[in-house]
Amino acid sequence: MRQFTGRRPWILAGSGLAAGLLSPAIVSAQTTPPKPDRIVVNASGGAMNSIFRRSYFAAFERLHGIRVVDTSPVDFGKLRAMVESGNPEWTCTEIGGQDAMRAKEMNLLEPLDTSVVDRSDYPENARDSHVLTSSAYTTALGYRTDAFPNGSQPKGWAEFWDVRRFPGPRSLRNHPADNLEFALLADGVPMDQLYPLDLDRAFRSLDKIRPHITVWWSAGAQPAQLLVDREVVLASGWNGRFYELTRRGAPVATEFTGGSLKSGSFGIPRGTRQAYWGQRFMAVMTQPELQAVYTTEMGYPGLNRRTMDFVPAELIPLMCTAPGNIEKQFWLDVAWWTANAAIAQERWNRWMLRR
Amino acid sequence: MSSPAADRASPARRRELALLLLGLPALLLLGVLFAWPVLRLLSMSVADGTLHQLERVVLDELYVQVLFESLKIAGLVTVICLALAYPVALWLTKAGRIGLTLGMFALLLPFWTSVLVRTYAWMVLLGRSGVINRMLRDLGIIEYPLPLLHNLGGVLIGMVHVLVPYMVFPIYAALLRIDPDLPRAAEGLGASRWAIFRRVILPLSLPGVAAGCALVFVLSLGFFITPALLGGGQVMMIAMLIEQQVRELLDWPFAAALSAVLLAVTLVVYAAIGRLTKGARLASP
Amino acid sequence: MRLEVSGIVKRFGGVTALNGVDLAVEEGEFLTILGPSGSGKTTLLKSVAGFEVPDEGVVRLGDQDVTMAPARHRNVGMVFQNYALFPHLTVAENLAFPLQMRSVGKAEIARRVKEALALVELDAFAERLPRQLSGGQQQRVALARAIIFGPALLLLDEPFGALDRKLRESLQLEVRRLQRRLRLTTLFITHDQEEALIMSDRIAVMDKGRIQQLGTPSEVYDFPVSRFVADFIGESNLIEGTAQGTEVYVPGFGALTLPQAPASGPVTLLLRPEALRLGAEAQAAPCRAQATVLETVFLGLSVKLRLRPEGGPDLLARLPLRPSDPPPAPDGATVTIGFAPGDIHVVPRG
Repeated sequence: MRQFTGRRPWILAGSGLAAGLLSPAIVSAQTTPPKPDRIVVNASGGAMNSIFRRSYFAAFERLHGIRVVDTSPVDFGKLRAMVESGNPEWTCTEIGGQDAMRAKEMNLLEPLDTSVVDRSDYPENARDSHVLTSSAYTTALGYRTDAFPNGSQPKGWAEFWDVRRFPGPRSLRNHPADNLEFALLADGVPMDQLYPLDLDRAFRSLDKIRPHITVWWSAGAQPAQLLVDREVVLASGWNGRFYELTRRGAPVATEFTGGSLKSGSFGIPRGTRQAYWGQRFMAVMTQPELQAVYTTEMGYPGLNRRTMDFVPAELIPLMCTAPGNIEKQFWLDVAWWTANAAIAQERWNRWMLRR
Repeated sequence: MSSPAADRASPARRRELALLLLGLPALLLLGVLFAWPVLRLLSMSVADGTLHQLERVVLDELYVQVLFESLKIAGLVTVICLALAYPVALWLTKAGRIGLTLGMFALLLPFWTSVLVRTYAWMVLLGRSGVINRMLRDLGIIEYPLPLLHNLGGVLIGMVHVLVPYMVFPIYAALLRIDPDLPRAAEGLGASRWAIFRRVILPLSLPGVAAGCALVFVLSLGFFITPALLGGGQVMMIAMLIEQQVRELLDWPFAAALSAVLLAVTLVVYAAIGRLTKGARLASP
Repeated sequence: MRLEVSGIVKRFGGVTALNGVDLAVEEGEFLTILGPSGSGKTTLLKSVAGFEVPDEGVVRLGDQDVTMAPARHRNVGMVFQNYALFPHLTVAENLAFPLQMRSVGKAEIARRVKEALALVELDAFAERLPRQLSGGQQQRVALARAIIFGPALLLLDEPFGALDRKLRESLQLEVRRLQRRLRLTTLFITHDQEEALIMSDRIAVMDKGRIQQLGTPSEVYDFPVSRFVADFIGESNLIEGTAQGTEVYVPGFGALTLPQAPASGPVTLLLRPEALRLGAEAQAAPCRAQATVLETVFLGLSVKLRLRPEGGPDLLARLPLRPSDPPPAPDGATVTIGFAPGDIHVVPRG
């Protein structure tokens, strides 16, 4: 089911919120606890787990001589049930979307031991007390290079909305997140004044583009497929999907202008027996050389600033956090969405149903 | 020969009890794994002691409209499945051993493929530049690609494909149960092939038709992947909304209320189908 | 209407079910096909009904060749082994079915259904479903349905098999009465020789896809043309003897003289158990022997004895019994048994 809606780990960037609401006992590691024969890391599964195996898992096993067993999928309900039962099976787990902050607020996570997990090379707004920001990604505009050759693609959502200058069938996600922001950007709202979102204005703006959206996609794999099949010439989508097509030589490229940045998260379930080794695993995940493997494969850059030093130079312009790209985008406000998801979704459903 | 009833009743009752005991594990399993969770889910919708969540569903035009849309789509899928499945089931009863094996294989094959994969396969087939449109264009039958995907038609195709075996098997089973002497007797009494079908085969297969319709209709109501992917946002079904509430918005009480309404509607439809098939016997001249 | 079947051959794969059957059922006649299972009698019935097309031969109804005609055009009424009543239709609807197929008007249908119900004494059951009826009632509905449309021929496929003995006997008589009254040409299939003897005008004994003997019940019973027929119909003592002119040597009984001379050499003699005499009655019989009583079985109105004559084969005897009669002889006793040469039938060797 997870691959159906795809990865949805959202940003933790504006993380002034909720840091240190609670003050659980810090797991201090003065003495090294005995080595277990294995730890369990839970993640999205599929390609992601196999890249993890080649990078973080292998390095951890080499370093500590402890086997890493991976499970999937990411499941917030299960995390909650595990912690509440007092014996979490997972040593570390990926946490989807806005759930990272919620997990922390619900006291489901161990605080990160800053003496073990060194994030001095991370951007300051990505050093949460309980949550490790594993990578960044964006919802950006994918386009067919044969329909828009030589840089003639729409740059930003105002141009995406402009169907006369940029004709052709389009696709957007069947979901309010990102789309409300895009609609407001198209309507002239400056990137730094998006939040709180003006729903009325956003839906009025969406009304204008609606007749030109031939497909409202719902699975992460769809936008790339729609472009490859010439079903549409423009589509919003997670940049890793377009990245993969571009690397394979398909006539698909990514326009980052107006992209909606988010990040993926990892945490240590509170009360897990191998918490100490969980901290050690998190430390491995901050290594720039290892992040670079994942970054190169998936197109989702790790947050360590030095990661890019280990990524092939020709791929760097394809990264959402690359200089020249990151400035054109905004960070999706997880806090706003956590508070307003239900309302936004219901309005979205109503709007979709009205035809 | 005519031993007193009491003599026979107690062994019979004992046998009944034994049968019940045999069925007990299955009943318990059903109770624990199905009835109990369903009850818990339903109780969640009224957990705050009010009917507020249910009111939210039935008083809101959005959910009522989606519910009707879902019923409409489920009804369409059921009718199409029936139209496709009945001849297939009839053919299976007449097919030889090889035909039967091949037919069964063809019907069961899709069960070994996930719904997701099959849905993507339809996207490849039905797309603007998909197999079907390309072929039609190459043959010069059409100039512009037909909109086969990302609309109601695409959803119906995808759902019917998944659900048609659920219609074939109950009908096939019902047809097999018909004593082969009955059509023979009808023929001997002067009935044409059509009259044999219309007056004997069809009415006697109605229980299978009803079972198939109920199965397909109810399964249709639970679909959310296929309509989401093949509908391209043009089709909204109630199960999609429930899934949204459960997985994304984590509003379980409201999801429970939606489920409760869906369950109620489903039961009403079941009852109606049961009535119809009972009435069908009386209606036949 | 007269039914004539000639030269019918039907093969299923390598098996020959019918191997050249010739048969005529005269108008109004009740003819029984009697044979063990696998003898081909059901295939013959299906060929007549139109559910099987024979590989060779002709089926003629009246003066029409119907060999290739589909069943629905033959106008033949049939009662199936399990009645084949339409379970979803009421009794009245079942009876109306053949009339509707013939586009009979509604009022006429109602009238004839009522009449047919009266004929089989089921007036009160018109609105019942078949499953709400007893086996005997179902059987009568099936019969009524088979004759309501005035068929040219009535086929009965072991229709009494599923009924208990008492019911079977009363229905046998009822069917026979009805058949006579309506003068229905009837072809009746059974493996029950007793039933065949009771009901039939003539009996055709079938075996191995052929008719072995065709004749009245008494002809078939008294003068079987083969060992198979003799054995299949009724109980029989089949004795192997040796003939020379009119003299026949019977082991245990010595030589006896027959009215007509069989072919010389080994012969098979049929002696029905009821023709064997015992004790005082046997003293007067021309052919006698001393025998030991091996077993005695009481059958109500008669008693059956298994006897072993000195130097001869075991024989069955059936003696009539009145309620006050003592048993004829205890087991193990030695008794005199005997018969007259006229009680003997020489079974032709096939």
